[in-house]
Amino acid sequence: MQLKDTLQAAYTAVTAHRMRSILTMLGIIIGVGSVVLMVSVGRSFERYVLDQVESFSSHLIEVYPTGFEKFGRTLDSMSFADYEAVETLNTVESVAPVIFVTEKITYETEEISPFIFGTTSNFFYNYSLKLERGRLLNESDIKGARSVVVLGYQAAVDLFGQNDPIGERIRIGKRFYTVVGVMETVGSALLQDLDTPAYVPFTTAKAQTGQKHLSYMTMKATTEDDELALADITALLRQRHSIDNPDNDYDKDDFRARSASQATEIVGTVGLGLTAFIGLIAGISLIVGGIGIMNIMLVSVTERTREIGLRKALGATRQDILRQFLIEAVALTMLGGAVGIIGGAALGALLAAIASKFVGHVPFTLSIPALIAAMSMAMATGLIFGIFPARKAADLSPMEAIRWEG
Amino acid sequence: MPKKKNPSTAPLIETRKLCKSYCNDELETPVLHDIDLTIHEEEFISIMGPSGSGKSTLMHILGFLDQPTSGKFLFRGEPTRTMSDDELAAIRATRVSFVFQAFNLLPRTTVLDNVILPLLYHPTIPPSERIERGMNAIEAVGLTDRATYFTNQLSGGQQQRVAIARALVTSPDIIFADEPTGNLDSTSGSQVMEALQDLHDRGGRTIILVTHEQSTAAHAKRIIHLLDGRIDSDSKKFKRVTAKNNHNLKK
Repeated sequence: MQLKDTLQAAYTAVTAHRMRSILTMLGIIIGVGSVVLMVSVGRSFERYVLDQVESFSSHLIEVYPTGFEKFGRTLDSMSFADYEAVETLNTVESVAPVIFVTEKITYETEEISPFIFGTTSNFFYNYSLKLERGRLLNESDIKGARSVVVLGYQAAVDLFGQNDPIGERIRIGKRFYTVVGVMETVGSALLQDLDTPAYVPFTTAKAQTGQKHLSYMTMKATTEDDELALADITALLRQRHSIDNPDNDYDKDDFRARSASQATEIVGTVGLGLTAFIGLIAGISLIVGGIGIMNIMLVSVTERTREIGLRKALGATRQDILRQFLIEAVALTMLGGAVGIIGGAALGALLAAIASKFVGHVPFTLSIPALIAAMSMAMATGLIFGIFPARKAADLSPMEAIRWEG
Repeated sequence: MPKKKNPSTAPLIETRKLCKSYCNDELETPVLHDIDLTIHEEEFISIMGPSGSGKSTLMHILGFLDQPTSGKFLFRGEPTRTMSDDELAAIRATRVSFVFQAFNLLPRTTVLDNVILPLLYHPTIPPSERIERGMNAIEAVGLTDRATYFTNQLSGGQQQRVAIARALVTSPDIIFADEPTGNLDSTSGSQVMEALQDLHDRGGRTIILVTHEQSTAAHAKRIIHLLDGRIDSDSKKFKRVTAKNNHNLKK
């Protein structure tokens, strides 16, 4: 029997039993499609988070107080003197101290409770935040502890709607501030809304809150390798806090210096875990799809055994039968797999596009290894359960096969 | 279609002490005992007997659909016991063909595709001849106008005639028909018998018919009666019934 004839026989068998063929393919489509969809959603999310971290944070370093023994109490281990000392290091630049002001902001009848950062203009540079209108905080604001405020884009909209807030006076707690600037919208990063905060001079925040310590510090590393800057900061602060910690046991420190690249690594690890978890769920749906394929193949065995008997009675050899069933199974699984991949990828791209509308650009990422794994598993199931019964049937005598009752 | 002459003088089929028994859960059920039978070319034979007499089993063995348990089965003088699977498949593809009681056509497949199905497995007939041979066979059973119909759109009698067309498309040495009228009403049955008789009388084909109906068997020239797996009688008939259109089979 020529290959062309085998193809013809397989094609006839597939089209003559359209329902059976569709049901078989459905199992593969669902299995492969869900793996491609789930894993690409996981990968896209991971890519999105990494992009977000990298976008504002090249060489960004944050130093914040720690201490488990102070759980529930204010962490006050980082002082203003620490900030001034860190500023003298030449491995870092643009150091910005931060004091949080936990008060409500009111303007006429509007009231919001955003994050209020008491900081310096370095802060905007460190997080790549850009001004839309007015001006940023400047040196004389800091020196004179002036009551001025720069509003995040959303904070300005919430308080003033369409009106221009520049020059307006708002109240933070009991103190009045003049709005001097509004930031550009940046959307959100790391699932945090960066448009809602307000920024006041560090010195003004200190005076208003009476706080004698820093909430945290941000800066940029001047070295190519963030680790050098981190080591410098850590050594300096340990010395200043009289902490003897040659083993680098972070639990002994009362602060922690961390670079965004470390955060990137952590996010990468979390993303990998997420992808693995999603992959597991997708794997289960692949198995479910496989069971679907198996079912339909096993159910059709009786009918197909009779067909095999008939073909053998008409002169087909065992090899003719096996080749026909092999081609059928390969064609069905390939076609189903292709539809599954296209469907899964299309749905994934659609979800990424929808998500982009709400949380900023989510790049659609397709996972080729997951695609290959899903495809091979679907093909293996299709082949095994397509060919194994056919082999058994082909070994019967034609009459036994024709009379098969299952 | 002219029939090719075989130079060998050996009979087409010869069996000696042919036995068949089925094994089921260690219980051996004998079906055929010591069948001695000789069949020559261009014979038209009916194998008769009550159900369970082993007539179908005998036909399946003679038609290479099943293997005997013991005894000799010579085809054109050649022993079949030592033939490999592929040799048996080649004989099924070229020498013998079947008409089943249940038609056994492929559903949702056209009449023509069903008829040329055996040609896919034929080692020597070139693909270019398939359509022509298929249409000739369909014409021989009078279904030319139904060639592009799906088989499940045809009546039972028409389906069985498609099966006959499929059986003769390879120009086999023998056509076996297992209760070909068993699932048909008497008018359709008569048409099927007419088609078979025509193949014998005008095409010179060897036909072996299995039936339990006296009226169907009466179309043959030789009738073999089986009883409990043994040949009960084997007689030549001189007065044959001839099936014609509008003549109904008595059931």
